[in-house]
Amino acid sequence: MSARLLRYVDWTLLGTTLALMAFGGVMIYSATQNTGDPMGFVKVRVLHALFGLTLLAVAAAVDYQAIARAWRPVLGGAMFLLVIVMLVGITTMGSQRWIPLGPLGGFQPSELAKLALIIALARNLEAHPDLDSWRTVIPVLLIAAVPVGLIVEQPDLGTAMVLVAITAAMLFAAGAPRRIMMALGGATLAGVPVLWQMLHDYQRRRLIVFIDPGLDPQGAGYALIQSKIAMGSGQMFGKGLLHGTQNLLNFIPEQHTDFIFTVVGEELGFLGAMTVLALFAIWLWRGMTIVYLAKDRLGMLMAVGIVSMIAFHVVVNIGMTVGLMPITGIPLPFISHGGSALVVMLMATGVLLGIGMRRKKILF
Amino acid sequence: MDFQAPRQRLFALSLIIAIATGILVGRLWQIQVLQGTAYLRQSEENRIRDYVLTAPRGIVYDRKGRPLVTNRPSFTVAMLPLELRRPAEVMATLAPMLGMTPGEIRARIESSRARLFEPVRVKRDVGTRVVAMIEENRMDLPGVIILAEPVRYYLHGKMTAHVMGYIGEIDEDELKARKIERYKLGDLVGKSGVERKYEAALRGSDGRLRMEVDAHGRPLRELGRVAAVPGRSIVLSLDLDVQRAAFEALQASGLPSGAVVAMDPRSGELLAMVSTPSFDPNLFATGISPKAWQGLVRHPLRPLLNRAAGAAFEPGSVFKLVTATAALERGIVNRQSTFHAPGYFRLGRWVFRDLKAWGTVNFMTGMANSINVVFYTLGNRLGGEVLALYAKMLGLGEVTNIDLPAEVSGTIPSPSTKKALVGEPWYPGDSVNMSIGQGAVTATPLQVARMVSVIANRGTLYQPHVLLLMHDRGGKARRTGRVLQGRVTLKPSTFDVLHEGMQAAVDRGTGRAAAISGVMIAGKTGSAENPRGKPHAWFAGFAPARAPTVVVVAFVEHGFRGGISAAPIARRVFLAALSQSTPDRGATPHQTARQMARGSVRGTSEPRR
Repeated sequence: MSARLLRYVDWTLLGTTLALMAFGGVMIYSATQNTGDPMGFVKVRVLHALFGLTLLAVAAAVDYQAIARAWRPVLGGAMFLLVIVMLVGITTMGSQRWIPLGPLGGFQPSELAKLALIIALARNLEAHPDLDSWRTVIPVLLIAAVPVGLIVEQPDLGTAMVLVAITAAMLFAAGAPRRIMMALGGATLAGVPVLWQMLHDYQRRRLIVFIDPGLDPQGAGYALIQSKIAMGSGQMFGKGLLHGTQNLLNFIPEQHTDFIFTVVGEELGFLGAMTVLALFAIWLWRGMTIVYLAKDRLGMLMAVGIVSMIAFHVVVNIGMTVGLMPITGIPLPFISHGGSALVVMLMATGVLLGIGMRRKKILF
Repeated sequence: MDFQAPRQRLFALSLIIAIATGILVGRLWQIQVLQGTAYLRQSEENRIRDYVLTAPRGIVYDRKGRPLVTNRPSFTVAMLPLELRRPAEVMATLAPMLGMTPGEIRARIESSRARLFEPVRVKRDVGTRVVAMIEENRMDLPGVIILAEPVRYYLHGKMTAHVMGYIGEIDEDELKARKIERYKLGDLVGKSGVERKYEAALRGSDGRLRMEVDAHGRPLRELGRVAAVPGRSIVLSLDLDVQRAAFEALQASGLPSGAVVAMDPRSGELLAMVSTPSFDPNLFATGISPKAWQGLVRHPLRPLLNRAAGAAFEPGSVFKLVTATAALERGIVNRQSTFHAPGYFRLGRWVFRDLKAWGTVNFMTGMANSINVVFYTLGNRLGGEVLALYAKMLGLGEVTNIDLPAEVSGTIPSPSTKKALVGEPWYPGDSVNMSIGQGAVTATPLQVARMVSVIANRGTLYQPHVLLLMHDRGGKARRTGRVLQGRVTLKPSTFDVLHEGMQAAVDRGTGRAAAISGVMIAGKTGSAENPRGKPHAWFAGFAPARAPTVVVVAFVEHGFRGGISAAPIARRVFLAALSQSTPDRGATPHQTARQMARGSVRGTSEPRR
């Protein structure tokens, strides 16, 4: 790795990432207090983080163009794992998402699929600079359709939504004409009833109660109501780290994974929530800067995919905790407990950093 | 190749992200800052649960400090309606554990819709096995809680049932009447007997326990506590030994229904009050089953009825004491007066029968052997109005105002009231019938006991009472004073003759079966004909005859002959009462009774952790 590459490392982006991860570690400790072994969770997380940071370094060091050239084995491998998970996967909440990995926990191939899709889409959209006809758009869509289909089949609605959002953002950045964007939007809406049929009852209930949580305050609406209560009761300054009653007394479901932000909101209040949001804002701002400065269309598209992936996660996850989004079960990047997501997010950050390191030379 | 980023589209993407982030900031501000207080309150409601600490009711002791009713710890299965998730599943899981049907549980919940925050008691006094089962299945039973509550325990069950009464869940009417006393649905309240009469003292005030609970409703930590104040204990005038003797004697009579009253003629204190058939008040303490309740209510002999005070019966020859009193006072008879008793009494067209022809007898023999013709003669001369006057002087025909609920007054007919009530005139034969306690005359055993007490104590009408001692709210013991209801001013000679005649009855007359060697007993038997079956058997008397300390009335419904079925019962009660050497008025009651009444037994109810 040359000195020039290191010179353009975005230290702010990297620092923000580390800060969010450290913050996540503290919150996980708080959220798992009543399991009796919060340090155990933190240790697992440190392992995940070290592994993820290694992959981050590797992803940054390897030229993203080389990564993009390998899009077939990358996407193929991810798809292969998705098929494997359908066969041997562990079922949680009625969805098959996990491949058991012994003491490391489990691996969730759908997380990897996000990054694989970004790489594959970027490579294929780069190859078709003129996207003004369906003939060029449809092959690209087919690439996205395979992982989306496999994940909907699990069914993991949240991750499927992430993939759709990534695809839309990248198509938009790649210059797809407005009519095609509109048509795709319409087609997505038309697909909703089909999707509805594929969902489990609990997933449908989650969506229904999002419209009216009062319908079933003790059942499906429970998480939504309790999460809002937790957030709101934190008020401006929070109840104090490790002292959230909603958290400690298990009123919040999944408080160390999908609902970790409620622990932030309850224990650290509005100020804590703003701090996390500010860190993400800095991260996204640095990410968009890399998008702008990417030296080629491939880098720009990959960076857009990665930034929009993180942005979508943040908005949907936090939106869920404050009752603005339905409960779909997608984690808060760098903060939620969960190895697969963390490792993949760090890898994506590495790719993003790598794009930034190989930016245009026109400045200075 | 110089790549140029699509600035417009990237700007649009950035804008979308910025707007979305802005919305999140606004929403967080709204929820956490603007509505924070409301959500904080909700989170407090989430984690804090208030439990009622049921105050144990006061202990009731007999006059010697022996407990008649206490409280024992028990577990109650209850549900919190607000926390009941998936009620159908929970009820289906819970029902077999409690030996109930889901429908019964549902009915319990629905009957208490008014109070969502209070636990609804589904089943009281469940065994430890049920508690263990519920705790093991806690995860499947959200909203189900176990309360540790004191349960009323009547140590002597049937023996003291009618005096003690029973408790039950407050009903709608009682609730309305008692709203100001802070009763609420599900509270237990005295329904009869002492439990009802002294409800205000016996009821404690419930405490509250504030616990922090987790999302499954499991209590984790105590946040605060207002201790329950146990009800005040009271001491009754009953003597358990006398009560037991009365109950056992009544049972030994072999006849299903009857009553015994034993009273101290010097004060009106009741030493015993028994009614049969009886019931087990413990059945009510944990909520009586509908089946058991129907069994009691539909029973032809009405076990819940207190025959000692709650029902009036034809007094029969016991009423001859009234006739004798009136005749002696009016001077138409003295102890030497002689009567011709051929076995019948003719009045115009009517003939009134007697058991046998006695020939010529004096008044003493008439009293001793309860010779009808003697009293027919006197009654006929006195007339109904005079008989009624003396009956009322002696306390018949009106309630005694004993400190027990549901007392009846009985009936004393008279020429003036008969006309007003029945519209028929008073026939001379009515006076003749009345003289031996037949016709429309009815009295409760308690009234008869008070009447005999007046004779025994030579003219003082005390109000009968069962309460001996009670502590006021400050903890100071207050003894019930004797309540003077009136003075019956009769000639001393009248009392002398009555006493002599009643002694003669036990000594050599109809009441011989009540005699105890070494003790002079005075008494009067009665065999009261009634339209429902065999005559009722009565014995009413006092002892020791020269300085009476106890009056006993034994009544056996359809017992046929007072001298045969009632007198032996009275004898056993006399024996028990006299061997107790009942203390004089003014002597302090047994020390232990006072101590126990003051130091109320602590029992609290707490949720199990």
